Amino acid sequence: MELSPENPLPAEPEIETSHVEEFVEQLRCVTDSLPSRINIDAHSVEQGLAKLVLTLIEFIRRLLEKQAVRRMEGGDLSPEQIEELGLALMRLEAKLHELKTQFGLKDEDLNLDLGPIGRLI
Amino acid sequence: MSFEQIIVSGNAEQLEESELSLLETLDHVLNSGLVIAGEITISVADIDLVFLGLNVLLSSVEAAQEVLQRRVTDAK
Amino acid sequence: MSLYLYCLLDDDFIVENVIFSGPREGISGSLVTLFIPEDFALLVSDFAGTSVPVTRENVLLHAAVVNAVLPETTPLPFRFGTLTTKAALDSFLAARSQALRAKFELVRGCVEMNVKIIWNREWIEEKSAVEMKPGTAFLTEKRRQIFGSEARVTEATKIAAWLEERLSNSIRETRVNTNTTDKLLVTAAHLVERGSIDEYRSRLKNAQLERPELHFLASGPWPPYSFANIDLEFKTQFGVS
Repeated sequence: MELSPENPLPAEPEIETSHVEEFVEQLRCVTDSLPSRINIDAHSVEQGLAKLVLTLIEFIRRLLEKQAVRRMEGGDLSPEQIEELGLALMRLEAKLHELKTQFGLKDEDLNLDLGPIGRLI
Repeated sequence: MSFEQIIVSGNAEQLEESELSLLETLDHVLNSGLVIAGEITISVADIDLVFLGLNVLLSSVEAAQEVLQRRVTDAK
Repeated sequence: MSLYLYCLLDDDFIVENVIFSGPREGISGSLVTLFIPEDFALLVSDFAGTSVPVTRENVLLHAAVVNAVLPETTPLPFRFGTLTTKAALDSFLAARSQALRAKFELVRGCVEMNVKIIWNREWIEEKSAVEMKPGTAFLTEKRRQIFGSEARVTEATKIAAWLEERLSNSIRETRVNTNTTDKLLVTAAHLVERGSIDEYRSRLKNAQLERPELHFLASGPWPPYSFANIDLEFKTQFGVS
């Protein structure tokens, strides 16, 4: 093991940049846009359960979409697999849209702001 | 001196540097590191897509937000 | 009663002779202790509860504990919030013993250094001339929404390769992500031998001078968070490895 008494490590990791603001802004994007808590509106009990369920599914759907894109980028999927994946996700998106409409819910109602959360997964 | 106190009494530039330091630290301890059992895998069209430690993720996601919100209120 | 895990320690960590200079009190006020089940050593705290509040205090504590051993040895850090029972830990260590030993082989004697690169420029989107099948077109459009134009992706990959080449011998291994945000082109983690830190820094400085249009952030040394995980090593998470 390399013990280097001539080159002691600093007590804490150091950060060096001439562009603090820029990096703060970009790193905030990464950690800031996180899904809000699932909002169960006590005043509309009927819609409450549908909202909860759809919010969860929507959350997972977006996660899957992001991961699918990353896998595609990663280059380890065949064209056939990409097509299968794309079609399955397309259908899922369409189905979710249908369900949202059925329950009279919009994206805003599901109280989701996923942002680049894919980074955490 | 606790970390919180340092933030409140700093000037704008120090504030930003502290925030940068916090964000960098968050980036490391929340996004990487060894993960122990308890993961689930979600597949679509037979392709494994999401593989994560769900309980860790949920607490990370929910509360990393709190960390940043707190930073904002501390600064006011 | 659960255990909160901070990090795994390598064989070379001489328990008796090294004084832990980090925080005595860890997450939720519990003492940071050395735990030696079977063939491994870990830094842990007792934890009562089912999930760890992700507060700034706790996050910084976790980081401080793991960082405190770095001058003496290179640990394998756990992700923040890792709770387990003694039994689950034993079973994890037994099952993963070989993989963990291999990880220690990889990171021994090294630290993690990070580079992030921002390029403030506009990316022109091209229209796709190729006819695509519906599923593929769907994913391609999603990709464009997330990662920006093809031009950006190509350029980010090029810059990542250029950076790697400039740093070459000073790094043992790299983990790169070129898909963070539109402006943040490259996020790279480098495994650097302790003796090579100066060379790494000077190479990095020279690289920065070469490309003044790029904005750099360099940080470190860190414990090897980005190289620790034995399961979640997705190309998808870290792009080109």
